[in-house]
Amino acid sequence: MSELTTKELHVCMGLNSCKNAGYSGNNDCAGKGDCSTAVGHPCHTLNACKGQGGCGIFGTTEELCHPGENECRYQGSCGVPILSSRFMAQGPNKGLSVWQLARIRFEEKRNQNGEPFGEAPQQYGPSEDYVNTVRGTTGVDYSSCGQSGSRSCSYINNPTDRKAAANQRVLKMEQESAQKLPETLSNCDCKNDGN
Amino acid sequence: MKTKKLFTLSNAVTKENIKEVMQQAIALELATIPTYLSTYYSINRAQDQDKLYAKIHAQLSQSGERTATEIDELTQELKLDVLVYSNKSAALIMSVVIEEMLHLALACNVKQAVCQTAPDLMGIGKGLSFPTQLDGHIPEFQINAAKLSLKQLTTFLQIESPEPFVDPYADKLLQDTIDYQTIGRLYEMIIKCVAEDFPGPYDYRPQLLPPDSPERPRPYYSQNSMNTVHYDREHNPQFANGEDSGGLVGVYDAHSAIDALERIIDQGEGRSKFKQHTLIWGEDKMPVPMEVVDGKVTFWEGDYDDAGKEIAHFAKFLEAYSLGGYYQEKFRNIQGLDDFFSYFVYDTDANPRTADYVASGNQALALASELGNAVFAYILLMIEACYYKDESTQYDLFIFGIHKSMIWLLSGVGNQINQYTYSKDNKAYKGALTFEPFSFEKSFLRPKAQIMNLVDQLAKADPTNWGWAIKSENYFPSLPDVGLDYTIEADMPKVPGTPYTHHH
Repeated sequence: MSELTTKELHVCMGLNSCKNAGYSGNNDCAGKGDCSTAVGHPCHTLNACKGQGGCGIFGTTEELCHPGENECRYQGSCGVPILSSRFMAQGPNKGLSVWQLARIRFEEKRNQNGEPFGEAPQQYGPSEDYVNTVRGTTGVDYSSCGQSGSRSCSYINNPTDRKAAANQRVLKMEQESAQKLPETLSNCDCKNDGN
Repeated sequence: MKTKKLFTLSNAVTKENIKEVMQQAIALELATIPTYLSTYYSINRAQDQDKLYAKIHAQLSQSGERTATEIDELTQELKLDVLVYSNKSAALIMSVVIEEMLHLALACNVKQAVCQTAPDLMGIGKGLSFPTQLDGHIPEFQINAAKLSLKQLTTFLQIESPEPFVDPYADKLLQDTIDYQTIGRLYEMIIKCVAEDFPGPYDYRPQLLPPDSPERPRPYYSQNSMNTVHYDREHNPQFANGEDSGGLVGVYDAHSAIDALERIIDQGEGRSKFKQHTLIWGEDKMPVPMEVVDGKVTFWEGDYDDAGKEIAHFAKFLEAYSLGGYYQEKFRNIQGLDDFFSYFVYDTDANPRTADYVASGNQALALASELGNAVFAYILLMIEACYYKDESTQYDLFIFGIHKSMIWLLSGVGNQINQYTYSKDNKAYKGALTFEPFSFEKSFLRPKAQIMNLVDQLAKADPTNWGWAIKSENYFPSLPDVGLDYTIEADMPKVPGTPYTHHH
């Protein structure tokens, strides 16, 4: 049977509705899944189903306000999984975390429906190393599309220092995004037709 | 190579000729897109930094002028010069391409509403070939589809120039010119005509506008994408376009028509009422650059659009030109280094032709070129079809067709074709998109079927690099099927539970 018919489909870590509905199938409850189950795709308009679009790299301000909430096939704004390093490239929230917005959207829905959920395995979403570990891959680039280069990198020459600097910079973005999350939601609540 | 005129510009805009003038304005906006894209695709904007470091390090080590520590430090500095500039120049060009797409749509909306006539993009596409020129400018100047260079950026500056200029090579160029006009002055003449002769309100005809749903707006114009993002020397992201730099405008009367036209002027040339940089020629017959201090230029108030938030196209290109010249000079003065641009620009020929690729015997390259031309023509067809369809169908066409074609299909070919090499006149070049006219009328097959035939042929000729194109249904197979008569057939690959339907 295909992934389409056997799993609940969601776009990333911490966005699952049920126990054992994360990628590895061993999570305790909603919101604690370790990775995406949506049919993996790299970018804008390439998602297979409703609710499988990621967000952040291509798309309108409106689309970027609703990661994983696309109505139809091919309407997804960006690729899955959504790494913690991915930031929005458009709109008033540009430069801020996509995963954190996806997670707060998920929490809002659960709260509205009176449904419980647990903490995500990682506070700010999955790193590329984490996704590689969960999926049993090595060095696979899950950063998704865009020609401008890695969202998680630095130009330091020494590879060890480079990685440390990149992690530090991503962490700074994640912390800033967490701090600005109410503002991020507020920006999305304003009617914004992208024009 | 002889240039081919795209159109002949009128000296005056009247209520009798405004339909032709608007078609000319649309042709002008359309012509900039392949010009800028050809340069964009010539840039390797995210190369392997370790390989680049090793190359520069080896070159510096050969001279024997520096200590090991000095070589390490200088290599790192030069590596950053290349990486940051290449990424930034590409992002700046792409940011202009996106807004030129907007300008194209705005001009089409104006023609549809004011002239009560749909735009003829396919007709323009059939006449567009490189080198070309924009008639109406004095002096006329040649526009090449070419790789990034100071010369090519000079052409960009001429296209977007806010003020009349005297070309230093005018004596070598075409002489049968008419009165001088900048692009902005053309639009100012149109605005004057609309204000005087076309007050509106205009009868309804479909325009390129997103579905107007108060519950869940579904816009499809976005000023930024990851391709307009670039990184500074600390790898912090920078965004080339402002998020509120203006988008699509519905044209219903003279007021909204003028609003649409003024957006085009503002984004292209900047605000002329404030002090702004202009095209001034130096003694070397090249544009005088902006001053570069610590790797940065200083903009003036008039370099921004009307809202004062976004750098206008001319200033963006002048920044790329100024920084490019600065780094080229810096590299030239360091023994052992190559030309600055050679570190990140693919060595493509100016105004290449598919016939060159065929003559070289590189079948995959020739097919990739044909496919690129077909996809570009299909984008024009899809945009044109929007002017005959309702908002819902326009949305589908944009999301399923035009976005996918621009981001993935044309880019896929544009970024892959430079991996091929070919020989012409005993010189080796990298392949490039040719942006030659593609005539779907030559076959009885629908345009999408013709594209799929090319994809199949390419996948057979080069299965390693193009096998994905037929295997993944989310790319070429999922394009909307638009006919030359604007009919749309729903032949998208189906997924259970999410059938695809079009609203005709």
